[in-house]
Amino acid sequence: MNLDFEQFKKLNIGLKELDNIRTKSFNRFKNLGIPTKRQEHWKYTDLNKIITNNFDDLQIYEGKEKEEYNKNFLIEEFEHNKIILQNGNFIDSDLSFEDKKRVRVKSLKKILSDKNNFEKIKEYFTDEQNSMISLNHAFVNEGVILEVDQNYFFKKPLIIYNIFSQYSKNKIINNKVIIFLGENSNLTLVDFYRSENNIKYFHNTMHNYNINKNAVLKKFNINNHLNSSYNYNSTKIKSHENSVFENFLLSLGPNFIKNEIHCDLIENYSSCFVNAIMLLKDTQHHELKTNVNHKYENCKSSQLVKSVLLDDSNGTYQGKIYVDKNAQKTNGYQLSKAIILSEKSQFNSKPELEIYADDVKCSHGSTTGNIDENSIFYLMSRGLTKDQASKMIIEGFLNQVIETITEPSIRKLVFNLFSSRINSIKI
Amino acid sequence: MLDISNLSASIEGKKILKSFDLKIKPGEVHAIMGPNGSGKSTLANVLSGRKGYEIEGKAFYEGKNLLKIPIEERAQKGIFLAFQYPTEIPGVNTNNFLKTSLNTVRKFRGLKELDSLDFLKLVKEKSKKLKIEEKILSRQLNVGFSGGEKKKNEILQMSILEPKLAILDETDSGLDIDALKIVSEGVNSLRDKERSFLIITHYQRLLNYIKPDFVHVLVNGKIVKTGCSDLAEELEKDGYEGVATGK
Repeated sequence: MNLDFEQFKKLNIGLKELDNIRTKSFNRFKNLGIPTKRQEHWKYTDLNKIITNNFDDLQIYEGKEKEEYNKNFLIEEFEHNKIILQNGNFIDSDLSFEDKKRVRVKSLKKILSDKNNFEKIKEYFTDEQNSMISLNHAFVNEGVILEVDQNYFFKKPLIIYNIFSQYSKNKIINNKVIIFLGENSNLTLVDFYRSENNIKYFHNTMHNYNINKNAVLKKFNINNHLNSSYNYNSTKIKSHENSVFENFLLSLGPNFIKNEIHCDLIENYSSCFVNAIMLLKDTQHHELKTNVNHKYENCKSSQLVKSVLLDDSNGTYQGKIYVDKNAQKTNGYQLSKAIILSEKSQFNSKPELEIYADDVKCSHGSTTGNIDENSIFYLMSRGLTKDQASKMIIEGFLNQVIETITEPSIRKLVFNLFSSRINSIKI
Repeated sequence: MLDISNLSASIEGKKILKSFDLKIKPGEVHAIMGPNGSGKSTLANVLSGRKGYEIEGKAFYEGKNLLKIPIEERAQKGIFLAFQYPTEIPGVNTNNFLKTSLNTVRKFRGLKELDSLDFLKLVKEKSKKLKIEEKILSRQLNVGFSGGEKKKNEILQMSILEPKLAILDETDSGLDIDALKIVSEGVNSLRDKERSFLIITHYQRLLNYIKPDFVHVLVNGKIVKTGCSDLAEELEKDGYEGVATGK
């Protein structure tokens, strides 16, 4: 990796305070280096090795974006609002279904040069959880901020298009997405990924969501197109009283992705639900890590993760539920199920419960196995070929996660993308 | 239709079927009765192609070596096994499964595949006959079905796929009297001079409703006695032991 921090600083002279954060974060990254297997949280994903093996000369992305992008990447199945991020940069938005006085989309770049505005998002530059996040703080100069007033219900879903053009080739792209969802407001958000010509890049992104009292954020990560990208995606959520955060992840596309979801349930009756599908082939390597912190009473969380692994693929789910001593009446549930279809593929699962309160209901389960031979025989005895039978069983296995999606238009979209993938695989 | 001679089947070194012979002509209904462990289910498994058995001997289906026909082709060519314990398959929608199965079989037989509308019409008609509640067909395949619902679902599949040879493996077990009647009527309505049945059962009860042309007594992997439907009543009276030893 070839990171010219001094050059970057010269090109991005701005607020003194931001400069200091960048320098501090870069030094922290330099000291720690890219995470390796030796770090507990990276036990199943040696990022240093992955980057060294796949990139000769990874450089900081410093392109100036034109406001043009490939319109073929847009979803046509249903009406929606759009935010376009190209190579991490905010280039366009279309919120024509919404009341623009109550929903504001801002370019992070503009905020970063404005002292008063920066003050409001400064806290999202202090996280020191790992060196990739420090790297993000050091080099981030683009992204998007979405502010939603209180009592505002989005009329249509919002899709954030993460588009990567040929200029992102061999680049590491650091950006941030920050969302403030006001009290009693409601947003359905799709994080959608597309890249041009199968280029190879590293996307190091951080999302921060602040979900206020009684607000509902339903988020969908859709990464279905097979591509040569490498991704680290860290999402941190602060959930206030009686708020709901739902996240569904369709993890099919990139060569490598590690998705981390950290949710702090900080007030009464807030809840967090994460459901995910991983369907991996070739040498794909995907990891999902969830970390739900029950910091207050009466909060609820659940995770359902189903994975199917073919060829030489590698999948991991690490799920932690932390229950603070104050968090009585916590309800926590976690289930991971994986089917391995090839001897060379592997799935790692690490459930973790850390409970300090005494009146809680928490459970977790994890199974990894082969496809059920009796089921295959049953279907074949009805005329289905082995291929048809296996696909039907896998589709059914994973479809149970899709059925948890409560937004009909998105459930249909996800189902279609997922079915076409199932049909294309060779078992 | 089916010509089995000198068939032996072993599993994990244990011989279950021993020099088994059976001939079934088109339109005939044969019942095989036998005590627990006599090899009844093994016979059904071997005929439908389940793996794990070492097989010797011969079995011809419509003049072709049945033992060499892949599982799915047996089904496509008209062999149907109604399972003793139908498999529960989570996440697989029953209607979708039925449609895929029917269309695969139809395609093989050179018939036009049914579209969703025609298929639903067909399923509606067939399930009504078997008094199957339509809503169970939109549920996951056999998941959460009662014992009776599972068995009825097997007969529904049979009536939709219209096989040439239907093998019913203890379809009567787990059925109450009403369900037994409905299932039997379902089977009887499919009887014609081309279609053959092999009915495997413990009890004579089912044969009160489905009158077989022949009854075979299977003991210890071999047919020890063959007769007409009266033999079933004799078995009920004297037991397998009595009939097998001629006492």
